[in-house]
This record gives sequence, structure tokens and C-alpha cells, in this order.
Amino acid sequence: MKKFTNLLKKEIRELVTLQLIISLIFTIILFNFLGSLTKSEIKKSVQLRDVYVLDLDKTDFSKELLNNLSVGGFRVNLINKEIQREDKNLAIDYARMKNLNFLLIIPRGFGDKVSSFQSTEVEFYSFIKSFSMGSTVGSSIVNNIINSINNYVSNNFLKAKFPNLNPESIKNPIKSKEFVIIKDRIAEASSSEVMNFVYSQSVFIPIVLMLVITYASQMVLSAIALEKQDKTLETLLTVPVSRRYIVVAKMAGAGIVGLISAGVYMLGYRSFFSGITGGVDINRLSSDIITKLGISFTPYGYLLLGLSLFLAILNALALSTILGVLSEDLRSAQGFSFPIIILIMIPYFLSLFTDINSLSLPVKLLVYAIPFSHPFIASSNILLGNYNIVYYGILYMLIVFIILIFIAARIFSTDQVITMKLRFGKKAKIGGI
Amino acid sequence: MQVEDLKKSYGKIEALKGVSFEVKKGEVFALIGPNGAGKTTTLRIVATLLTPSEGNVVFMGKNLKEHADFVRENISYLPEEAGAYKNMRGLEYLRFMATFYAKNERDVEIFINRAKEISGLSDRLSDKIGTYSKGMIRKLLLARALMTKPALAILDEPTSGLDVINALEIREIIREYVKEGTSILLSSHNMLEIEFLSDRVALIDKGRILEVGTAEELKEKYSAKNLEEVFRRVVQ
Repeated sequence: MKKFTNLLKKEIRELVTLQLIISLIFTIILFNFLGSLTKSEIKKSVQLRDVYVLDLDKTDFSKELLNNLSVGGFRVNLINKEIQREDKNLAIDYARMKNLNFLLIIPRGFGDKVSSFQSTEVEFYSFIKSFSMGSTVGSSIVNNIINSINNYVSNNFLKAKFPNLNPESIKNPIKSKEFVIIKDRIAEASSSEVMNFVYSQSVFIPIVLMLVITYASQMVLSAIALEKQDKTLETLLTVPVSRRYIVVAKMAGAGIVGLISAGVYMLGYRSFFSGITGGVDINRLSSDIITKLGISFTPYGYLLLGLSLFLAILNALALSTILGVLSEDLRSAQGFSFPIIILIMIPYFLSLFTDINSLSLPVKLLVYAIPFSHPFIASSNILLGNYNIVYYGILYMLIVFIILIFIAARIFSTDQVITMKLRFGKKAKIGGI
Repeated sequence: MQVEDLKKSYGKIEALKGVSFEVKKGEVFALIGPNGAGKTTTLRIVATLLTPSEGNVVFMGKNLKEHADFVRENISYLPEEAGAYKNMRGLEYLRFMATFYAKNERDVEIFINRAKEISGLSDRLSDKIGTYSKGMIRKLLLARALMTKPALAILDEPTSGLDVINALEIREIIREYVKEGTSILLSSHNMLEIEFLSDRVALIDKGRILEVGTAEELKEKYSAKNLEEVFRRVVQ
């Protein structure tokens, strides 16, 4: 065991280089910086609820409308007295000079037209100063204001015409009551809200899977390729230590460093992502509905997902070990990481953009044959309570892993660890001759 | 160690076509031959890296195929142009390697102290191997190979690619170390080096041993001034 620990320490020591540490620290700092920058931008834009108004109408109706906007969460600032003359162009110049974001102009005769049930217009000016995300969020405020005005005006119309009826009942006479059914569970909820909730719960899962598997496999590929390149592997294979220990220590070292690296990247990504959402909770689904539909990960679900991910990592490590032996140096190892990345990317993109279960049978079989597909498949199926497919996936990955580790151990215990080389476009050199 | 009729093929290529020789206790035995003669393949087989297609190696009375672990405990192998782990410091590398041979921590310290002495790298052993010159890496690796006092040290081109001064130092280390009782099996292109270091020499070409003997015996047999001439005459 001491020999194994010695090997494992060496593997970690070789993989955790100063460059890796710097790149991880840099990633965290960069993601945090970008996240907090985006967050502050979005918060700033959300807070842009100051509306500047030139009221040329000055009737009770326009005053009441502005009052209604204040109730709706907008801070109304009248600029009638700030400009020399009550003129539209002067108001626009004033807004430009004062660097305002929104200007609402209520035209003369607005109140009269509304009172006589005629269609009328207000003018709304948005001053775009950049094309950042903050500006995009700001534009939704314009819509809110227009909707708020329309709502107020139409309600007034209806109240005047039908004083005994609720305007909302007239505008929306049919109300839908939406139910969602998942397997044998039913709850009153909007399907889009349920989908949004599930998405927000599982959005990180494919990214985590992709990062962890990619990192771990690249680590082990590099570790073996570097040993071959520097001819340290030849020395290592002649020392009195089991070849199985050498293989397992390499895989364990790469797995540990790969997991840590992916974890660091995830922390950074999470911080960036929370910045994009501006720290605002987008889930409006009540916990009652979540419980009724059973669409959250239970401890058992997490256990299954963890097991599925763990086996996928082991598969990636074993496959990379075999490919690492084929490589001659670090450069050729990078070429060998390509097929693994493709095998990870196929289920990753499919899980992001489509339902794997809805694919045609040949494509589905192809996806199922890729061991890395199963954690991606597992994450959504665990939420839906389809455990059988998760169990089959785990069993399949276990079988594939046993086969791969058998092949890897066999290669390491024979000449092939030294003689196997695959060089693209060049004739392979064998032995020492 | 007895090497008996070793044959090794890589597909259709026959790298060794029946190589036999013997290395006695405390002896320096050298394999000399051109590129592709089969030197490295022979050394790799003896070092347990490759398995022979046919033939046998008996080391300290034990068959190599059946007792590879025993052989590994009692030999050390220095591959041609080998490197070391660049992120480790010299001392860390020696400790890492010593742990595989040591029975306890005391042994580790003994091995490391011996390696310090052999390498002559003194304070530079505290530096990262990535900062070492080629000569320093070779000294470190040679020290690693000899620190455990193996029964047999297998050295493949020990001075390959080194400048004159470093090559001389390495040869001195080997020569000094043989006095301690270790047998050495080495390969080289450098005939002067072979004459300086070896007790007996085997001339190998195209996977066959052509001649075996001391440098003096061979020179006398072929009426040659040096081993280079002997080699040319044997091959012709």
C-alpha cells in the first residue's frame, strides 16, 4: 500500500503544476469578476424605474394616469417646469442633456380623447447608450409602462360603460386552469413554469458532467504521454511495484485532479451564472407543487446520479489510459483526446437540445452505446422517476469499465505498453530499433 | 546472469535472432553494435520491460519470466536518454524511487545519502529537476540506478548526448561503483568508453552476437589496434 501511496502522490504532484494552479485561480477570479460585473449591470438596469414625463395634456385624467404609474412601481418625474417652453423637442434635448433613460410625452387632448372613448397615443422615448445586457433589460421597462397605461385606460373605458362589471372579467372571460401530469402524479401548475423549474435545477448537471469527464480524461492522457515522452515510464516499469498499482495510481491521480479542476471551474461558472440572472430567483413554482410532482432530486436520486457520474469518469479514465499508451508524446496525446471529447459532446448536446428518448431507434442505440451518455440520461430520468433506465445505464457502464480496465491492465502488463505507438501519417517505430 | 538464445520479433521484424551471453558477478559487460543491432531490445528484455519471443534469461538462479518481481528488486535500469519528473526536486525524485526498494525509512535515508554521494549534485538536489542540465539529469539518474546497490545495473548508452566533461564524470562514477560488487550490463556506440569501462565485450549486429571476449583478446584475435577496428573486421 505504501508503494501505491507513493505512486499516487507522485501522480498528483506531477499534475498539479504551477501553471494549473495559476490557470484555476485566474479562472475563478475572471468568472467572479464577470459575474459581479454583469450582476451590478443588471441590478442597475432593474433599478432604472425613473420615468421622466412631459405632460402637455395636464388634465385630471393625465394626472390620474401618472399617479397610477407611481402606484405601479415607477418614479414619475415631471419635467414641465425644467424646460423653457412646454415643447416636445425641448424635452428631448433636455433628456439627452441630463442623460435620462426614458421620456414619456403625453400629448395635448389626451384626456379628452380617452374620455370620449377614442384611440389615442402617448410618445415614449428610450435612450439607448449601449448594447449591453442592462440596456436589454431596460427595454422591458418600456413595455411594462405601456402595458400599465393601456390597462389603466381600458379599465376606465370598461368601468364607464359597464359600471357593474369587473373590467378584468370582460377582458379575459375565459380563464385557463392548467394541470401538469408526470407519470401518476398530478398538480395544478403551468407546464412552462414546471419546465423552467426543472431546467433551473438541472442546468448545471450536463455542464458538470462534461467538464469532469473531459478534465479527468485529459489529465490521464497527459500523464501517460508525458511519461512516455520523458522516458520515465520505462524506468517506472522496471521498479519493484505492481503494474496494476501504476495503472490505478495514474487513473486515481488524474481523477482526483480532474474532479478538483472541474469543481473549481464549476464554482467560477456558478458565480458567473448567478451574475447573469442578477441574483434574482426565477423560480415561481411553489414547494407544494414540486413535492406533488416529485420533480426535485431526493437523496436517493443524488446517490444514483453520483454513482452514474462516478462510473462515467472511471470509463473515461480507463479509455484514456488505453489511448495514452498509444500516444508517443504530449502532442499526439492531444490528438487522442479528440475522440473522447466527441463521445462526451454527443450526449452533452443531445441532452441540451433534445429528449434522447424521442430519438429514432438506431440513433438512440448509438447514444446508449456511448458510456458517457448515461449520466446525461440519468439526470432527467431521475427527476421523472424513471429509475429502470438509470439502473441499466449504471450496469452497462460497470460492464464497459470492467472490460476497459481489463484491457488497460493487460496492456500495462505486456510489451505493448512500450511498443504500442500510433503516429498519424508516420510509420510507427517499434522496440528500440 | 545467463542469457540463453534470446529471440524477439515485432511482427515480421526479427530484432533478436538468438542472443546468448553471460554476465558474471562484479563484472562490467558491454554490448556494442550499430543502431538497430538489438542492443536496446536485449537490455529491455533483461530489465523485464519486454518479454522474449523465445529463449530464456536466468538471473541469480531464477528464471526471469517466472520471477520478474524478484528480478526487479535486484536490478536497476537506466534507459537511453531517459528523463526524470520535471516538477519534482532532485531529492524528491530520489526519495520517490528509493521507497520502492527500501524496507523501511532508514533504508530510504541510506539510499538517498548514497545517491547524493554518487551524483555529486549537492545543493542542486534541492532544485526542481526542470532546471537541470542534461548532464545533471544523467548524473541524477545514474545515482538513482546505483543507490540501491543492485546486483545488476543495466545502463543503456549512459553517456549518450553528453559533453566530454560530463561523459568522463559519468564513466568515473561507473568505474568507482563497480568496486562495490555490482555487475553492470551496458550498451554503447562509443568504443573508447567500452574499452575504458568493460571487463568483457559482446559485439552485436543484426540481432546476433558475433564475438565475445575481453577487449585485449578481441584486439589480438583480429590483429586490431582498437575495438573500432575489431568491430569493422567482425562485421565485414
